[in-house]
Amino acid sequence: MLLDSVARPEAAPRAPRRRRKIPLSFVLAGLAVAGAVLYLVLANTGASAEYYLTIRELRACTTCSARSVRVAGTVAPNTIVKDAAAHTIRFTVSDGAQTMPVVYGGTVPDIFQPGIQVVVEGKLGGNGVFQAQNLLAKCPSKFQSATPGAAGAASQ
Amino acid sequence: MHFSDLGMIAQLLALLFALYALAASLLGARYTKPALLASGRRSVLMVAAFLLVAAFALAVSFLTRDFGVGYVAEHSNRAMPWQYTLSAFYGGQEGSLLYWTLMLSLFASIAVLAHRRAPAGLMPFVIAALMGIESFFLLVLNVVSSPFGRLRIAPSDGAGLNPILQDPGMLVHPPMLLMGYMSFSVPFAFAAAAMITGRLDAGWLRAIRRWMLASWSIQTTGLLLGMWWAYHVLGWGGYWGWDPVENAALLPWLTATAFLHSTMVQERRGSLKVWNLGLVLATFALSIFGTFEVRSGIISSVHSFSYSAIGPYFLGFLAVVVAFSIGLFVYRLPRLRTEHELDTVVSREGSFLVNNFLLTGIAFAVFWGTVFPILSETVRGQTMTVGASFYQQVTGPLFLALLFVMGVGPLLAWRRASWASVWRNIRWPALAAALCAAILPLAGVTNLWANLGFAVCTLVAGTILYELWRGVRVRHAHGEGYPRALVMLVARHRQRYGGYLVHLGLVALAVGVIGSQSFQTERDFTLHTGQTASVAGYTLTYRGISGVEENGIQTITTRFTVGRDGRPAGDILPGERIFPGFESQPTSIVSITTYGAQDFYVFLSGYEGTDQASVKVFINPLVPLIWLGGLLMLAGGIVCWWPERRRAARLVEAARGVPVEVAV
Repeated sequence: MLLDSVARPEAAPRAPRRRRKIPLSFVLAGLAVAGAVLYLVLANTGASAEYYLTIRELRACTTCSARSVRVAGTVAPNTIVKDAAAHTIRFTVSDGAQTMPVVYGGTVPDIFQPGIQVVVEGKLGGNGVFQAQNLLAKCPSKFQSATPGAAGAASQ
Repeated sequence: MHFSDLGMIAQLLALLFALYALAASLLGARYTKPALLASGRRSVLMVAAFLLVAAFALAVSFLTRDFGVGYVAEHSNRAMPWQYTLSAFYGGQEGSLLYWTLMLSLFASIAVLAHRRAPAGLMPFVIAALMGIESFFLLVLNVVSSPFGRLRIAPSDGAGLNPILQDPGMLVHPPMLLMGYMSFSVPFAFAAAAMITGRLDAGWLRAIRRWMLASWSIQTTGLLLGMWWAYHVLGWGGYWGWDPVENAALLPWLTATAFLHSTMVQERRGSLKVWNLGLVLATFALSIFGTFEVRSGIISSVHSFSYSAIGPYFLGFLAVVVAFSIGLFVYRLPRLRTEHELDTVVSREGSFLVNNFLLTGIAFAVFWGTVFPILSETVRGQTMTVGASFYQQVTGPLFLALLFVMGVGPLLAWRRASWASVWRNIRWPALAAALCAAILPLAGVTNLWANLGFAVCTLVAGTILYELWRGVRVRHAHGEGYPRALVMLVARHRQRYGGYLVHLGLVALAVGVIGSQSFQTERDFTLHTGQTASVAGYTLTYRGISGVEENGIQTITTRFTVGRDGRPAGDILPGERIFPGFESQPTSIVSITTYGAQDFYVFLSGYEGTDQASVKVFINPLVPLIWLGGLLMLAGGIVCWWPERRRAARLVEAARGVPVEVAV
């Protein structure tokens, strides 16, 4: 430890300089890990990536009924209906221009209330009601200097 | 004059002194003026002093309910108890920035005081780097995002902190995590100083490692507190959602972990220098990226700060940091020649290198998933996101491999491990793992990945416990009793056994994660009074509902009687609280009871009158192991960090005139 700082001067260039040979085992290990990472990332991106849409885009999307998508919007006032027997909650999201009814059966976040921004993840049912598997709600902030408005949230 | 005016002046003075310290350190180093350097060091202490004053001013403004201050009015109200009023200090954008800069100034002061006798060439640049970062944050704080702005008309009462934040978790998680993010600046400053001066030798490494160990421990604590808070408060039965804000905190933690391991190779064999420097720079860049991402709102997340115009500033700073780091790094690349080349991957060095690969790979995957919305928007014109399942599928196998390397690595010898010695050390743990893998399916665990995970965890735990046993046995043979032997073993070899403790903690955490992810049970029930439901060996009987009001806060409590395996197991009281001013947003009181190694988690989802209540019940196996594992990891981090008593020996040598390498 004491010798370290004394006995290792700046490495003077040796002549002739031999090219640094990286052992094969390292190359293999590195390639294996890099390969695994890339494969996992790309395969799962393809499988799990979901569109993040506005309501209008969702309605216009022709391929979306088969896949899960995410839609952002604001919870419209006076539209929340709790169905205790079915353990679901129904409400309407709006993005300023359009509205869409949603039904959701999971845990409802505490901050869920009219006026907050939500992102619902699920599929648009044939009857026009969005079947949500996931509900993410964002805290409303007052006194913001640059509030992402209801329309802004959808375009994020 | 109000306290907030005092605060405003103090934070402005802090900025001026920070700029002065930056200039004085650079000029003093360039023109070799010791007086200027000393002045720069003292300025760092002045920055800390002024920021303490500013923080005091803000705290007092909160406690005296000075609603003339816009920030105080936004985040507190008269009904809030004092501890949450104080926590509102860092509850918003501006205050959290003040907290950040305060902590950085305190850490910079500690660095100045602790490294008084460090190599003189390095410290001025460390100070310059720290004060450069501090100046940026203070500039933003003073110009764009000051918590001391006053309103023309002071409201009679403030808006109050969001009820979901009025929870004990708020008192500990944000300050810890913010401190963690900030603390990565110190290793970065040392790295920057080393690159500028060209002194990339062993002394630099030791200083950085202890700072990085402290940062790592703080960030680990912050992450665990966040998980604990989410679990206890949010009611979805989980503790980690792979939310962009959570990921942002995880990224620097991953690279810091890699760094802490990889430096051992540089210390021992003088190799992996490029990796180590790269990891330090990456850790800081990721922490700035995380700060930027969280505050700018550029990636939508459930955590939201009030977005102001602050995003572009952080993006600019991030660009400067990255450009500066890469530029200097490339410039100094010739000095990062490896001294001893690594022979084979089947060696201690090799395992550390694979460790680096895996952790970097995981960090890349998490980063990819987090910025995917931005990437897809830019490349494809359509915003796409990936959810929790992406992260689980991608990082799961990688973490499993990492656990395996964590178990086998310490058993490999330096330079080249012989298969015989490896087998000798691993045969009993391997047997235990094989037994585990064979027995679990018989016990009902049929999930292949979970089985594999548990087997690997058994292997790793086995190797660690076996190593501990062997060490204790040797000391015992020399006459120490077993408990004392264990304590002395850890105390004498802090790095090694502290590391083992951290690994043991990580294994416990992994077991908890595997158990709770693979075997969680979730059910919904709606019950009338006296009605019983049953799930997974538990019964739940609804008894009734009651409400009380205290200090304006309404608390509604339902009572359920729990039965376990036929026997009564007490009553639980899930409920909700309604805060004044937030009537449409009740805050849940989640009921979590731990029976053995399982959590019985009940969330009140609704009620009708006094006769009917709806609950969501989660049976979460092995979650308590997560918290235990976290505590062990923190304890291990502290053990590793604790200074060696050899300092006394060094001072003696110094007194005798023996040249002593000054390392901290």
